[in-house]
Amino acid sequence: MRKVLLVLLIVLFSTLMFSQTIKVLAWDDAHTQAWKALVEEFEKETGIEVELELIPSTSMLQKTSLNVTENKANYDLVAIDEGNVAKFGDLLVPYKDWPEGDVYPKVGTQDIPAAIFASAEWKGENVGIPINGNMYVWMTREDIVNNPEYKEEFRKQFGYELQVPKTLDQLMNMAIFLEPKGIFGFAPFTFNSEGATCEAVMFFESFGTSVMTMKDGQYEVTLDKEKALQAIMFYKDLLEYSPQGAMNMGHGARIAAFSDGLVFSMFQWPGIVPSHEDENESLVAGKIEYTAPPAGPDQRAAVRGCWILGVPKASDNKAAAAEFSYWLNNHDAGMKLADEGMTPVRTDLLQNEELMEESPWYAGMAEAGKYAVSRPNRTTHYPEYSEIIKNNWLAAVTGKVAPEKAVDTMVSELNKLLEKYE
Amino acid sequence: MNSIHSKRSLRPRKRGRPFLYFIIPAALTVGVILVFPIIYGFGLSFFNWPQVDDGTRAFIGFKNYLDLFQDSLFWRSLMLQLGFIFIAIPIQLVIGFFVAILFNNDFPASGLLRTLLLLPVFVLPVLSGLTWKLMLQPRYGVITYLLSQIGLEFPQGILSDKSLAYAAVIIQDIWRMWPFMFMILYAGISGISKDLIEAAEIDGASFYQKTFKIILPLLRGTIATAILLRTIDALRIFSEVFVMTKGGPGSDGTMLFSLYIHKQAFQFGKLGYASSMAVVLIVITLLFAFGLVRKNMDIDTA
Repeated sequence: MRKVLLVLLIVLFSTLMFSQTIKVLAWDDAHTQAWKALVEEFEKETGIEVELELIPSTSMLQKTSLNVTENKANYDLVAIDEGNVAKFGDLLVPYKDWPEGDVYPKVGTQDIPAAIFASAEWKGENVGIPINGNMYVWMTREDIVNNPEYKEEFRKQFGYELQVPKTLDQLMNMAIFLEPKGIFGFAPFTFNSEGATCEAVMFFESFGTSVMTMKDGQYEVTLDKEKALQAIMFYKDLLEYSPQGAMNMGHGARIAAFSDGLVFSMFQWPGIVPSHEDENESLVAGKIEYTAPPAGPDQRAAVRGCWILGVPKASDNKAAAAEFSYWLNNHDAGMKLADEGMTPVRTDLLQNEELMEESPWYAGMAEAGKYAVSRPNRTTHYPEYSEIIKNNWLAAVTGKVAPEKAVDTMVSELNKLLEKYE
Repeated sequence: MNSIHSKRSLRPRKRGRPFLYFIIPAALTVGVILVFPIIYGFGLSFFNWPQVDDGTRAFIGFKNYLDLFQDSLFWRSLMLQLGFIFIAIPIQLVIGFFVAILFNNDFPASGLLRTLLLLPVFVLPVLSGLTWKLMLQPRYGVITYLLSQIGLEFPQGILSDKSLAYAAVIIQDIWRMWPFMFMILYAGISGISKDLIEAAEIDGASFYQKTFKIILPLLRGTIATAILLRTIDALRIFSEVFVMTKGGPGSDGTMLFSLYIHKQAFQFGKLGYASSMAVVLIVITLLFAFGLVRKNMDIDTA
């Protein structure tokens, strides 16, 4: 009896001594609920226990800032919104220093598109690993594109095939063509929030100019006035072919307009796309084609806003935390996680036919990933820069201020802020 | 002599102690929940205190306050906030007062109607904001539709125009909170002796005379209480405006004071600067409260 007790004690002691537990902080939605559903599988495979704390995304910044500092890490792995990478970048272990995984291989740009991998970049090196492929996906109504009457009429009027718009000029032509038929060519994002900054960045980049560019670790305002004006004027013209309320349109109104079948083509964030494909919520479910955004005169630009996973420098369980990240980005686990609701970030998963059948927008995401562009958010004061971009962009496109004046004000206010902070 | 004196002086203290014990839990609760955050916030207002500790947290004296007074958006948000109070609350008061007078007379189903009228107060502010946003939606909003039926068209939506959005926010608040005024004033009017009113009627007083010469003077304290409570509430209005407009359209269309504080604290991460604004808000609230209490509640006349 004594021997049995002794053996049990030894087993208990060694379990306590050698089993590892990592604490993970992440936002709470379908993606991370998928982690929760399958985390036991990871624990069995690796012997690492995971304490997963999921909280509303709006509380993530506050919670992370209180729990991850230079000397303290109450979590071994934290999810960080790309916009906050600058705030925590210095506190995270550079990805090149993450150890190789014992069970799951370390992932790299061979697995995840480089433009998406860059969402974890801080001061020239990656400080984490992207965990969801969150960037603009372009949605176009397939049933309209394939309507034989429309096709013929459009060819007669414009001399080329009605199709998923490959360029912004094509989008404009199609918007003009569809207007008399009661279909709006485009649905903008003009509500007073970060989405408007994303629109500005997408259109400026498509027209060949960046609001701010990082040079030698410092941001500079690089907005080309002429190109910026072209972008603004083009967007203003597009608003003429947008649904009622286009001057103050946010997610809710855009989702409703597209799902009601009123809109031909627009961008959407992947997290929202499933509602358009839900027959109970959308009249256009199964009628949407997903691609990268149409190209402007300069390039295609899909605004990116991924979450990354970072390991705090002060964590005591760096290797185990890295292992968990590799599991999340592993091909086989990714297949199962995708089934549970996680949007993958790996190219092979986004292009997997089985998954694409369930989630047809993955192909669009994989395509958009090639053209991902970031906002100028590699500074701790990004929200203030974004505010200036957003306010002046909205003032210009909604006609409250002359575009020339809005661009001048944007540039001068950004420069003032740069002087103040950088 | 000394010992007698000390025994006597001890007695009241002994009697007083049990009361103190009863107060302690409440005092502690108020201290932890209310007093400590105010003191902490006041202290924070003298610091540069970014939300994420990037090594720049430091004592900066009155700099936040000096910056505040040079911040044009601060003044704009303050003006919008005061405008909101001075427009919404008098209208709520007038509606609440006359409806209270109406309900002071018995008529069929008055009890049921009185209860139904209170419903908007029970609607959560955030739900009220979302509902109004929906009703004002340009394509399927019921208010937009009704307005279009009388020839008032807003193809771009009421909330996309600064002045209209500001008006909409105020109307939403009037709709939600006038029954609160009604509730308090009705209680006040019910407390006025019927004999007084009847005596006035026998003397041939008109409705105007009864209302403005008898009821209003007797309701002064009640009205002051109602205004005070509403003003305090209106000074911290946030969620309904946040969901309706997020402070827009544009950068400042409906950027009320509490929204601007929220923006500075949780969007820009400037907790010190936001705290200095919160201190200003507390001072304004106290000034309002002091003015109303002093003038209308006869507290200092003893």
